[in-house]
Amino acid sequence: MAKTIDLSVDLGFIQLKNPIIPASGTFGYGEEFQAFFPLDILGAFVLKGIYKNPRKGNPPPRIHETAAGLLNSIGLAGPGAEELKKIIKRTASITNTPIIVNVCGESDEEYLEVAKIFDVMEEVSILELNISCPNVKAGGKCPAQDRDHTFRLVKQIKENTQKPLMVKLSPNTHDVPAVALAAQEAGADCISLVNTFLGVAVDLKKRAPVFKNVFAGLSGPAIKPLALKLVWEVAKTVSIPVIGMGGITSGKDVLEFVLVGASAVQTGTINMAEPCASVRIIKELEETMEALSITNLSEIKGRLKL
Amino acid sequence: MKDETCIVIENRHISKKYYMLKIKAPYLAENAKPGNFVMLKASSGLDPLLKRPFGVFNTNYPFTWVYYEVVGKGTAAIANLRADDPVQVLGPLGNRFPAFTGKNILLVAGGRGIAPIHYAICDYAPANNVFLIYGARSAGDLNLVEELKGLGLKKMFLYTDDGSAYQKGFVTTDIRRIIADHHIEVTVSCGPDAMFESLAHEIGGIGTENWVSLEALMGCGFGICYSCAVKTTADEYKKVCSDGPVFKMEEIAWQKQ
Repeated sequence: MAKTIDLSVDLGFIQLKNPIIPASGTFGYGEEFQAFFPLDILGAFVLKGIYKNPRKGNPPPRIHETAAGLLNSIGLAGPGAEELKKIIKRTASITNTPIIVNVCGESDEEYLEVAKIFDVMEEVSILELNISCPNVKAGGKCPAQDRDHTFRLVKQIKENTQKPLMVKLSPNTHDVPAVALAAQEAGADCISLVNTFLGVAVDLKKRAPVFKNVFAGLSGPAIKPLALKLVWEVAKTVSIPVIGMGGITSGKDVLEFVLVGASAVQTGTINMAEPCASVRIIKELEETMEALSITNLSEIKGRLKL
Repeated sequence: MKDETCIVIENRHISKKYYMLKIKAPYLAENAKPGNFVMLKASSGLDPLLKRPFGVFNTNYPFTWVYYEVVGKGTAAIANLRADDPVQVLGPLGNRFPAFTGKNILLVAGGRGIAPIHYAICDYAPANNVFLIYGARSAGDLNLVEELKGLGLKKMFLYTDDGSAYQKGFVTTDIRRIIADHHIEVTVSCGPDAMFESLAHEIGGIGTENWVSLEALMGCGFGICYSCAVKTTADEYKKVCSDGPVFKMEEIAWQKQ
């Protein structure tokens, strides 16, 4: 190599060895992937979303593949916060890569309770607030669909926790940059987006929706252009770091997200299709940066030429 | 388990939408056990996006055979593979059929469910008395009967739903009589959900030890996506991929999911 490629990313509150962060729900609890590659190669990784109590999840079917995409209605099945603490201790014993806990809640009180549980774990580096959870008291609407609710919730979490807070936005609201701004004003340390886009799959034989909940979340390469648009709009609006995601499957995809303003990225559905995707994407990223004479991602972050 | 690119040796059309894929996959062939499954994808492209699960039909180092039916775009893409094509292979996955010695075992296969059952026959026949009930919709769905004949089965009972070949009926039609006649101690089945439900009704609670190998829509195949949930009688969901695919029949809540 003519020039040394530096993949490291400085988010201000943490330094990552590279921008690749497997996303919540697509990476289990991390330890499952150690069989495929050392977790140490990653920038960070996000654990599957967690509520206070164990959750069974939704009745099957839970997935439906679309053209280059995947609809899911898993229902955030999980073992509950106490069990996750044990899992985190196990996972942390096999890697030094920063662990991010995806905090869920059916109410603002539950969000806070879960956030506090993981805030005091030294094995956890960042809390990612999943504000796309249906909120019981808001009639099933999620906080991410309401800028005021997002502000209140983020403020409450920030006032009661010490760890850096990443707020994960939903694309299923009319003004995503406004919600991002509300999160920033409430003290969020960074933003991650996008969560899945709500969609519908139809079972023609039954003349019924495929999913019992009717709506399901679309992810995968099919949403990449939509995600790039929202990441770009949000990155222009806020001054805190933005972690971009949505259909990333290659090193080139990573650079596209950085160009529209992302400081780092999360990879999702590709981890299910190809367990070793992280290894390939990191390698491709380095090769593509060299080919394009980019030595550090900060050189191109947000430098989309218009 | 390993995720690797392997080479297609042969992809033989059997009948209707049924095929037999032979791949050169040394790691898989060396490590697969009867009951295990593999996730396959025809290319590294993005549509189809996910790999698809298949019960292992047989192995003989360095080769693995997969008997499959085309049911959607993932399997259609696999059916288009030709000799020397690369194929994405993740496996071996899941648990295995329990090991038995000196038992009277009845294997039950419905349609493409013959795939893992074939592997079980190869495993059980040398040290057990093995019987097979194999049923399918019609003549073109009941394949590989000649191959099954050479495996050392004590007896084989064949059915088609419509009577277009062999005996008209379902795998459950004579099952209680067969179990009684041959002093069956263990049953191992694989087939569609409807078959399992009839089986559970017919033989659940008659004293045999009953095992099932389930099929499910899967996202990943190794336990991280939680897509392949199956409800248990304890009113919990288990993952077909990493808790199974082999379960005790009594463990599964067959009626409503």
